[in-house]
Amino acid sequence: MNTKLRVSEISKIYPGCVANDEISLEFGSGKIYALLGENGAGKSTLVKILSGVVRPDKGEVFLNDKSIKLNSPLDAKKNNIGMVFQHFNLFETLSVFENLSIDSDKKDEDLRLSVNNILKKYNFKIDLDIPVLNLSAGQKQKVEIIRCLIRNPKVLIMDEPTSVLTEQETEDLFVSLKQFSDEGILIIYITHKLKEVLSLCDEVAVMRKGKVVSVSKTKEEKIETLANKMVGENLNSIKKKINNFKYSEEILKISNLNFRSDDPYETNLINLNFSLKKGECLGIAGISGNGQSELFQILSGEIITDYTSIKFRDKEISKLNPRERREYLMAFSPEDRISQAAVPELKIYENVALNNFKSSNFFEKGLVNEKKIKEHSKKILSNFSVNTDNVEMKSQFLSGGNLQKLIIGRELITSPELLVCFNPTWGLDVGAINYIHETLININEQGKSSILISTDNDELLKLSDRICVIYKGKLSKIMYVNEVTPEKLGILMGGGSID
Amino acid sequence: MIKIEKRNDVSPSIYFLTPILAIFLTLFGGGIIFYVLGFNPLEALKFFFITPISDLYGFSELLVKATPLCLIAIGLSFCFKSNNWNIGAEGQLIFGGIVGGGVALLFYGHDGFYVLPIIILSGAIGGMIFAMIPAVLKTYLNTNEILVSLMLVYVAKLLLDYLVVGPWSNPEGFNFPETRQFSESARMPVLFDGLRIHAGIFITLITVFLSWLILYKTYLGFQIKVSGLSLKTAKYAGYKGKTMIIIVFMISGACAGLAGVGEITGPIGQLHRNISPDYGFTAIIVAFLGRLNPVGIIFASLIVALTYLGAETAQIFLQVPKYTGQVFQGMILFFLLGSDYLLFFKIKFLGLKKNEL
Repeated sequence: MNTKLRVSEISKIYPGCVANDEISLEFGSGKIYALLGENGAGKSTLVKILSGVVRPDKGEVFLNDKSIKLNSPLDAKKNNIGMVFQHFNLFETLSVFENLSIDSDKKDEDLRLSVNNILKKYNFKIDLDIPVLNLSAGQKQKVEIIRCLIRNPKVLIMDEPTSVLTEQETEDLFVSLKQFSDEGILIIYITHKLKEVLSLCDEVAVMRKGKVVSVSKTKEEKIETLANKMVGENLNSIKKKINNFKYSEEILKISNLNFRSDDPYETNLINLNFSLKKGECLGIAGISGNGQSELFQILSGEIITDYTSIKFRDKEISKLNPRERREYLMAFSPEDRISQAAVPELKIYENVALNNFKSSNFFEKGLVNEKKIKEHSKKILSNFSVNTDNVEMKSQFLSGGNLQKLIIGRELITSPELLVCFNPTWGLDVGAINYIHETLININEQGKSSILISTDNDELLKLSDRICVIYKGKLSKIMYVNEVTPEKLGILMGGGSID
Repeated sequence: MIKIEKRNDVSPSIYFLTPILAIFLTLFGGGIIFYVLGFNPLEALKFFFITPISDLYGFSELLVKATPLCLIAIGLSFCFKSNNWNIGAEGQLIFGGIVGGGVALLFYGHDGFYVLPIIILSGAIGGMIFAMIPAVLKTYLNTNEILVSLMLVYVAKLLLDYLVVGPWSNPEGFNFPETRQFSESARMPVLFDGLRIHAGIFITLITVFLSWLILYKTYLGFQIKVSGLSLKTAKYAGYKGKTMIIIVFMISGACAGLAGVGEITGPIGQLHRNISPDYGFTAIIVAFLGRLNPVGIIFASLIVALTYLGAETAQIFLQVPKYTGQVFQGMILFFLLGSDYLLFFKIKFLGLKKNEL
């Protein structure tokens, strides 16, 4: 069975971002293809187009030189394109077999027979009659794979399949994938992990900012070369500032930060230690999902962990909640500005009141002091050039950039000693990004410190004084920004090591 | 292909007008039901909705029924606004009634101005304690408050049953399942001679005012609002989530307890098996019909109270069971939810594409 899959000049434009820009790629059976790229590079969009979840604005997909229309996931199934998503689509309380029979049109006996054949052939050990919730993440993934195999797929697409797997499960998966490939199934493997690309795949297409930047044989590539392509080399024009923090006092010291979670989609943090000086910006790089969100929540006090010590200006604050930490002059700007940092349904001044200090007197003796909050909000709107002066407006009518200005303004107007921000410019337009960047540089110049957790390397290199990388819940060593190159970052982000 | 999309903005005026639309749809639906049953719809609806309040006595009865409904619904609005689903107001009402009634029996034969306030207070505390059970279980053991609060309704009902049949039954009552009539000092003062409307209405009105104050003018109210809209934001702002869950349940339980004690010291005057015609459940409809807004809840309680009265008149004049009242209450909720769905979502009909056939 020979399968050829070709995408031709596929484009998909979302408001404010070109997710796929004239993508053309060719795949043939018998090989494993890697689709490599950072978050937001456009991999997922392309895969969603191939599986019928998203329709492209332009371009065509050819299967064995025949143009096919993929308007729904059903169309993808009909054309024998199978897809295993990063997050499983299984009913936890139903048994494995019931889950498989839901979208199968075979009779139960026939289905059981073919499932048993698959189990035997690939040496999968799964009890078909136990509820899915008793399975490990790796076994659940096998159920999803079996679901695809029942339909004799010509193409199998795996989206970041190892993100929830253990090392051993990952190895097992690779063995199976190679077996499928030998049998003639065309495999497209989406990942941002460089090591996996080199050990598993035959060819690799690298995507960056919606475009395919290179297609090559993995034999000809090394971790460094791939990292370079993935991150991009056009990072030399960055504006660095002079730092004199080396001699100033320490403001924050974190020791023994550990976090364990039972949720397989959360990342455990393992023994993080770092400190921060007055006026310094510490950048934390990494591909999303490596523990950034957990780290942010521990710094802000949304998650309280045992045994961790967080010393802020020589006071132990590790057991304080976010409001109490703010009293010590810390400020936080979370990643999710729409459902966490602000509530869209609330008016601007109400969102401002979320960041409440004793000294701000927003609530005197338990009563709302609307006048005070509104005055304060007006000040934020004008100081941080938000494009409205109507504090009664609901926040949902602010653009992303203006909402972020409001949030950063709300956090900064109280002159905190430390600002922790997480992807502060994610999804914003260039103007807003510049404004936020200038603001963040300004606070360092005023002797205030910041921690910048970001998945955008340009941003990190531009703003940070020191940078480290978080990978699978562990921090790399902390480097001064002048020692860091995009290459090094790329290697560390993909789990490699330098020196 | 039908596609359902969320609407981006809903104007506040329409938000408060849809309950009125729901009421009209209910009248229309009710008319159809009466027509199918062989009545003249307009006349039947007149019996149901106009005859009951066409005289002073009827109007007083309307207020007697609306008093507990409004009070409970106000309390529930605290829970519902902050995403806590207290379904057990009926149980909290009954438990408040039991505690208040117990105290009233304790003061049997006592005179004094202090008796009634003590009874009312103990009723409120009773309801509050009973509501804290699901709240504490939710915060510390992660149980589902819907199930716990609902099941506790039956606990309260059976406890009341046991008490009025057993230890608290009237010694001169020929084994009827009821307690003694409370003494005069333990009864809510009646406002007008010959009418049943009692001082409990002032408790309700004061509670409505205080609730408005708390919900819209205090830090606690602000925290309730934020938690209701986004728990993630509440956590990020550093609000003490657990304490808040317990506080809203306490407020809501106290209101239901007050309603219970108002009933037994007001129109009923003793404890028996049926101290509440499901006010605690019906108040859920009142709370939503009133858009969880104190003023809205006042109007909603009057309308829903009317369905209770209407059902009684309809039973007399049309010989239909009084459960038609519940049919109307159900229809109000149904139409309210239905119009809300269309308010928040729009349905798009997309033509069938050739390749989808």
